[in-house]
Amino acid sequence: MINNDTALMAHLLRRAGFGASRDELEQYLAMGYDGAVEALLNPSHPSNMPDDLIRRYHVEQSELRDLPGSAAYWMYRMISTSCPMEEKTALFWHGLFATGYAKLNQARSLLNQVEMFRRSGLGSFEDLLVDLSKDPAMIVWLDNNENHGDAINENYGRELLELFSMGIGNYSEDDIKECARAFTGWTLGNAEYMSIRAAKDSIWPYGRIAWHFDYREEDHDDGEKTFLGETGRFNGEDIIAIIVKQESTARFVATRLFQFFAADEINEAGEKTVQDMMATYFSSGYQVRDMLRTLFHSDYFKSEEARFARVKGPVEMVVGAIRMAGNYQNPALGIEKVSNTMLYMGQGLLQPPTVEGWHEGEEWIDSGALVERVNFVAKELSDVRSPGVRSIIDRLAASADQGVLDPADLADGCLDLLGPIEVSDETRSVLVEYASRQGDLDLSGHQPGDEAEQRVGNMLRLVAATREYQLA
Amino acid sequence: MSTQTKSPSIALDYVKTIGIVNNGFNGRGFANPYDIVVDDNGRIFVLNRCDPLRAAAIRVGICDLDEEYLGEFGKGNGTGDGQFIWVVAMALDSQDRLHITDEHSHRVTTYSTSGEYLSHWGKAGSADGELNGPAGIAVDSSGDLFIVDQHNSRVQKFTVDGKFISNWGSFGGGDGQFNLPWGAAVDADDNVYVADWRNDRIQKFDNDGKFLAAFGSSGDGEGQFMRPTSVAVDSEGFIYVADWGNERVQVLGPDGSFQLILKGEATISKWSEDYFASNPEEKAERDISNLVPELPAHLNTPYHISSQTEPYFWGPVSVSLDGKGRLYVTETNRHRFQVYQKR
Amino acid sequence: MTSNKREKSLIVIQLSGGNDYLNTVVPYSDGKYYDNRPVVNIPQDKVIPIDDRFGFNPSMGPVKSLWDEGKVAIINGIGYQNPNRSHFRSMDIWHTAEPDTIGKEGWLGRAIRDIDPQGDNVLTGINFGRGLPRALAVSGVSVASVGDLDTYGLFPDVQDEELRMFTLEAFSRMYGNTAGRDPVMELLGRTGQDALQGADILRTAPAMYSSSVEYGPGPLAQNVKSISQVFHANLGARVLYTSYGPFDTHSGELLSHAKLWDEVAGAIGSLMDDLKEHGTEDDASILVFSEFGRRIKDNGSGSDHGSGGVAFMIGGAVNGGMYGEYPSLAEAEQIEGDLRSNNDFRSVYTEILEDWLDLDAPSVVNGQFEKHGILKS
Repeated sequence: MINNDTALMAHLLRRAGFGASRDELEQYLAMGYDGAVEALLNPSHPSNMPDDLIRRYHVEQSELRDLPGSAAYWMYRMISTSCPMEEKTALFWHGLFATGYAKLNQARSLLNQVEMFRRSGLGSFEDLLVDLSKDPAMIVWLDNNENHGDAINENYGRELLELFSMGIGNYSEDDIKECARAFTGWTLGNAEYMSIRAAKDSIWPYGRIAWHFDYREEDHDDGEKTFLGETGRFNGEDIIAIIVKQESTARFVATRLFQFFAADEINEAGEKTVQDMMATYFSSGYQVRDMLRTLFHSDYFKSEEARFARVKGPVEMVVGAIRMAGNYQNPALGIEKVSNTMLYMGQGLLQPPTVEGWHEGEEWIDSGALVERVNFVAKELSDVRSPGVRSIIDRLAASADQGVLDPADLADGCLDLLGPIEVSDETRSVLVEYASRQGDLDLSGHQPGDEAEQRVGNMLRLVAATREYQLA
Repeated sequence: MSTQTKSPSIALDYVKTIGIVNNGFNGRGFANPYDIVVDDNGRIFVLNRCDPLRAAAIRVGICDLDEEYLGEFGKGNGTGDGQFIWVVAMALDSQDRLHITDEHSHRVTTYSTSGEYLSHWGKAGSADGELNGPAGIAVDSSGDLFIVDQHNSRVQKFTVDGKFISNWGSFGGGDGQFNLPWGAAVDADDNVYVADWRNDRIQKFDNDGKFLAAFGSSGDGEGQFMRPTSVAVDSEGFIYVADWGNERVQVLGPDGSFQLILKGEATISKWSEDYFASNPEEKAERDISNLVPELPAHLNTPYHISSQTEPYFWGPVSVSLDGKGRLYVTETNRHRFQVYQKR
Repeated sequence: MTSNKREKSLIVIQLSGGNDYLNTVVPYSDGKYYDNRPVVNIPQDKVIPIDDRFGFNPSMGPVKSLWDEGKVAIINGIGYQNPNRSHFRSMDIWHTAEPDTIGKEGWLGRAIRDIDPQGDNVLTGINFGRGLPRALAVSGVSVASVGDLDTYGLFPDVQDEELRMFTLEAFSRMYGNTAGRDPVMELLGRTGQDALQGADILRTAPAMYSSSVEYGPGPLAQNVKSISQVFHANLGARVLYTSYGPFDTHSGELLSHAKLWDEVAGAIGSLMDDLKEHGTEDDASILVFSEFGRRIKDNGSGSDHGSGGVAFMIGGAVNGGMYGEYPSLAEAEQIEGDLRSNNDFRSVYTEILEDWLDLDAPSVVNGQFEKHGILKS
């Protein structure tokens, strides 16, 4: 019943973006699958809500002193962007190189890090690791500002190998030490003053002072180092050059990309795709964009078993619903409440609980989070005043024979336009029965907010509340 | 042809910085100050916009040049009498009344300078006399109010009680047209100046709205602006512009000729000294830091530079003048204002 | 004597933002207090004296009354070594009982898991407020977060009662089908049912509740009233948690702090009256804590983040009195201008876990800590 091209494109847009309204879906369909993949990976007309407008009305997003305003700033970006893949990529790296507000007390540095992910996140993994090592938020987060030539601090050196590339078992404790030595001197400007301000959450006297990278040559251990069997007077970039050559790094990057963009679990077919991505990693010179191209063109990704194989994270739930409903197109009060909602769902932007990031997939679901998730999307998508919902109503009316929809048409129409979303027979029968309570729906001559429109809103609410809607 | 640049005919000397961030709900310090008005007694009234977390703290704080905090008033966040949501600007009339615009509630609220709520007026809409996002506000010598009606792309003239007199303007980039205009000022001849925010220029009109001149174009050079938010004119006709997007203040001559640029050079205020007295270890680290650092390429815009360079203006959203040759630059992102003296 | 000995419940009131210890339990006879707090102090004639050395903040009338009844334990100088002055980090430490590494499980989440390992009662632990505090968070443990008890549940924005009922019924049927599905759908189904069940049960609490006690209109008082309603509905809730703030009084402290304690003391007073009226004073104990105290010296308008703070345990089963040592204000004793804590917070946790909730403490708080004898066992 559901056209496969449409279903496949919707699947691509759920993964490489936050889902799509039917209008957006049709635009991408016109490009064809290959064209759509290219447009997503290499957007030519980037646009989003302009900074000057945001800062004019949201003084807290001009200053970015506190977390709620900063998370809301990123929300506006995700909601309004014409390049959803850029934001999804930033969100991916944000969860992987998890750097949190709790220790930094400096939201702007986190947003600068996110901006770096936009800039470098689809390019060479080697360049990305160098940018990450120079990122002031990361430096403070993993104490590299305490990593001195005469007294090393291994935290960043360790996590770089354990969590950000090769993974445990692929290097020794000595390698960690040598790695840490290579990054001595990689610190931030005015490091001591900035550290004490971070530790005390100081905003005095005149608000926050932003951070920038500083290399202190006199603090750098310039001696000979042996890392993963190679020897030389390595500095940070040299260590990274060795790291990215390793097969374990290729596997790490491919696996994490797969889990975020393809499926929470990797089965046999998925494993083959991961290996193809690893091959691309090497043949392309560590280019993330090329790896994703391999993924999006893989048989696995295009197969039915990849559809709805991920649990949506809270950010995807919230941003997806808002984009579908067409809300928050302009700066408006209340945006920071929306970003708080994601926190209540278990994913506070810019505040991953630890450097391991969030536990995704099934772990997003607990009773408190589920209530928040369902309540938010149900409310967002049932409001017939929202532009996106109105668009759905218009399409339903246009598609109906003389504007009249029988209960099955109403249920199927809503499932289609909100996705298309595939649901089990049992779920669908509940939806159809729900619609049958009031018989056929006559949308001809519908007026804003009238009962006919409310019925569509009520059906959309129920579709948004299904289990299947929780999946991407 | 001589290519020598004329040297400016005005000089401004930095005097001091007053302020400290106050992230609480009362007491000295500021929370995203948006405008300043100074009365004849030297009382400095500071309008605090406050971020949403502290919206209950929206208020006017009062201090003097000796940094004595004299008090504050306001009724908090909301649409009730005397309450505010998104405050923008203030004007002081000759009867010791402050008129404050609210661009979310589409109205003007009047308080006495002793902090007593008096009244409010304003109806949302686009008909004559109705408001959609009132921003800048200025008083002329007859006591009439000029209000910049940003989303209606016009300036409206009212009596001090809010009775509609006249208006002019439409959306666009031509003479007498506006694009999300913000600040307003009146000069000694009762001409009206408007900071035409998204057109990156200042426009000058006579008291009846007849277009007289436009100054500036988009850019970061001399005589150029990036989203100017506020304008003030002194008794000699010098035009001060809060060049918000460029994180600076520009001064133009009465003929619009470029005079000078101020980037800000903030120092420690008295209230800040008290903070450091109880936090000496932080002060010690600060003293060995370079507060005007060099920055990497990707952070090289005025906005980012100011976010890292504490003495520079950051979010200079308003320029105000007192009768004694002093300029007050309100910096919303730094919770302070810097004072300059005209030589 | 009742034959039904009900199980003991812990009520937690978290004061978020760093409550100023010096202005809560005021060392009003110590000259150094006034030397260090020239502006932000409570005058001698304004404190509510506890004895000739210390007094309560003037807003704490109801707490003083309870103190006189012997139901308030003041736990002095509470904190941990190597104080952290960042809100997030310090609160995390209190929540996870892990001062040295980054803890991932909340201490009360672990307690709830130990009380109900099979997860038979989804209402064993409840947070009153939105978003789950880390203290209650452990993977696999279901804890409801009730923003508003009267409207708690699914589809609270649907005004039409009949429509809401139909929608809930449809939801229940959609989530009821769990057999033979893939694990994720099964999990969603079970969780949805738990949520419905929890909401259904919780919704009965206000209706079952009757009391002559009036609670104030403020947010803490209302949350505490909800706590009372749920506690007295005998739903098996053993841990009831709520938060209030912001206590982060860097400026304008005297006015803000007074208002905050008006609300806190009023809420506690109402709750204790309510427990008394229901005859349940001995069945619930209240823990009041904050993530740190504030600096000894004021900054001219308020006070900045400090370290050692004060906590309270309040209830019929509490052995009232002062515990721990009030930290010295002498310069030699300070830690970088802050009060030196002498009392590890995990001692209080240990006491609550062992003597009140009847659980094994060391596995929850990652160590052995000495108890003070605050609770009557």
